[in-house]
Amino acid sequence: MRGKLSRRALVAAAALAAVLTTGACNVDSGNDTPSGSTTSAAAKALKVGWSTIYLAPSWMQQTLKMLEDDVATLKSAGKVASYETFNANGDTSQQIAQIRAMIQQKYDVILVDAGSSTALNPVLEQAVDAGIVVVNFDSLVTSEKVIRVGTDQVEWGRMMGQWLADKLGGKGEIIAMNGPAGVSVSEDRWKGAEEVFKKYPDIKIVANVHSEYNLAPASQAFASAYSAHPGITGVFSQGGALSAAALSTLVKQNKKLVPITGENYNGFLKMWADKKSAGFSSLATAQPNYLSVIALEAAVAKAGGKAVPTTITVPLPEITDENLDQYVKTDQPDDSYPIQPIAQSEIDKLIGA
Amino acid sequence: MRDWAGRNLDLVGLGALLAVVLVAYQRLDPTLLEPATVTILSAQFLPLILAAVAQTIVMLTGGIDLSLGAVLALGMAVFAVTAPDSTGGVLAAMALALVVTMLAGAANGALVAFAGLPPIIVTLAASFLWGGVTLIVLPQPGGHVPAGLVRAYNQGWYGLALPAVAVLLALGLWKLVKTTRFGLALYAVGGNEHGAFASGIDTRRTKILGYALAGLFTGLAGIGLAIQTGSGDPTIGAPYTLNSIAVAVLGGISFFGGVGRMRGTLLGALLLGLLTNLLLFTGISTFYQMILQGVVLVVAVAIKTLATRERVA
Repeated sequence: MRGKLSRRALVAAAALAAVLTTGACNVDSGNDTPSGSTTSAAAKALKVGWSTIYLAPSWMQQTLKMLEDDVATLKSAGKVASYETFNANGDTSQQIAQIRAMIQQKYDVILVDAGSSTALNPVLEQAVDAGIVVVNFDSLVTSEKVIRVGTDQVEWGRMMGQWLADKLGGKGEIIAMNGPAGVSVSEDRWKGAEEVFKKYPDIKIVANVHSEYNLAPASQAFASAYSAHPGITGVFSQGGALSAAALSTLVKQNKKLVPITGENYNGFLKMWADKKSAGFSSLATAQPNYLSVIALEAAVAKAGGKAVPTTITVPLPEITDENLDQYVKTDQPDDSYPIQPIAQSEIDKLIGA
Repeated sequence: MRDWAGRNLDLVGLGALLAVVLVAYQRLDPTLLEPATVTILSAQFLPLILAAVAQTIVMLTGGIDLSLGAVLALGMAVFAVTAPDSTGGVLAAMALALVVTMLAGAANGALVAFAGLPPIIVTLAASFLWGGVTLIVLPQPGGHVPAGLVRAYNQGWYGLALPAVAVLLALGLWKLVKTTRFGLALYAVGGNEHGAFASGIDTRRTKILGYALAGLFTGLAGIGLAIQTGSGDPTIGAPYTLNSIAVAVLGGISFFGGVGRMRGTLLGALLLGLLTNLLLFTGISTFYQMILQGVVLVVAVAIKTLATRERVA
């Protein structure tokens, strides 16, 4: 009997705890409401939110940091009133809910790094219809009603392919390191590279390897392709981890360091800087983190009544043997993406302000 | 009265929690009970509710469906690829998608029933299988859903919250199925398979039909998601697998089969959905949101476990 009673008490306590937990967030929100109304009182300062499909990867963390720095500048200039980040953690349905919540809370500007190229279209168009400035960057949607800020992935492949073809003098044997099959970024980059290689019949692609954009699987994939074709004179790689995998394999096996195209993945840049004196040469580009900054600036300009192009294609940076030292960060972890900040005049030119 | 409360302690607890969340929500968003908001919220919750209904059916048979997200995406893809702009065509596309997901479910059920494999293994393997089939049907996000339908679903149809109506119809269908001989057999097989077999129930047939019925609700969830998003996306379904399990557990459905009621699942889905939205309103950092969601889930399960023990004692 006594046992029963104490159990009942436990159940009641647990229920109470649960209710209190939810009650606690209610109190929090109560504090939030007044600050929300003050923002709408300030005539022009904007309420800005960013919904991103992932926040954990280091690229996203850097993107967030650049964005927050720009928010701080715009806040002190009186252009932005508040800023909030929403992380959908890989769940597109959750991202839809986030954007809907932002519409209901009357955000002035919604920035989006999309989890699906089509599924967000209806809710984003609804936001546009509600008079909200919607700017999409990095991973883009197909809707033409929102402002989209991105890079040209086909051009990425073309640029890398052309450099390699020139470096090889138009002939040789190469291994191609691509991303997973069926992933649109990977398909687009390879499309651009293939265009170039078709013009050079003397360049033979002896192996076309597909791998995750991850060091371990890429190393395995490259090692087996390389053991079958040890006579290659170059490597086309479309991602930093893939490039790092190829270069480290050559270094480990103490083989000739053939040219490998790259990305601003710090692990690759460090190895490149280390082996430059040994004759290693590369060209790398980047999906620049400042896409978020350009997106925010475009949104602020648009909200201020300026005409902003609906498609903003940001030029791909070029990291070469000559300017490598400005990029590589020997004191930072491999899994970071060093980038030079973009000049305000460049941003203004891109957004047509 | 006390007896009733004792038997329904978990549901009462869930209801109380839901009430608290609703009150907090109402304070933050005073339009909560207006038709427009009900439409928006039901449009958002429909896929999760129906996915959780499907998961509940499988769990009642004593199984678990790890392929739910993949089958949901398959239904979504088949519908988005085949849906034309005519009303008849849309209905035909829906029927086709539902047939495909029911067959997928029945195939899962047949493997569980005849091969005697643990459901967790069968459906894990099936998740890769159906994921691959979905990519063949729809290699990248796309497809087509009539714009009028998307608008009617998301913004109401002459002021009517279509998704809410659809959920009510689906729950009505379950209620109907539950009262049939098959519905009783479903609970019996999940509760005590040998006992059910001994008392003359065709346990294999019951399982296959159960998984097929789950496939039907999963397909409905996929169609709902396609209409909500105006397109198909082959990878969008994955989070629904674990979310549907979380909702079913929150709703008091036992992992061991045979125990639990669909109204618990419905309460669970509403609670999880509203709580997520509520946290979006409060501006708490998203990392804390995940922690809080976990806490609520653990607390709810703890209440349920203690309440059940009480009943046995």
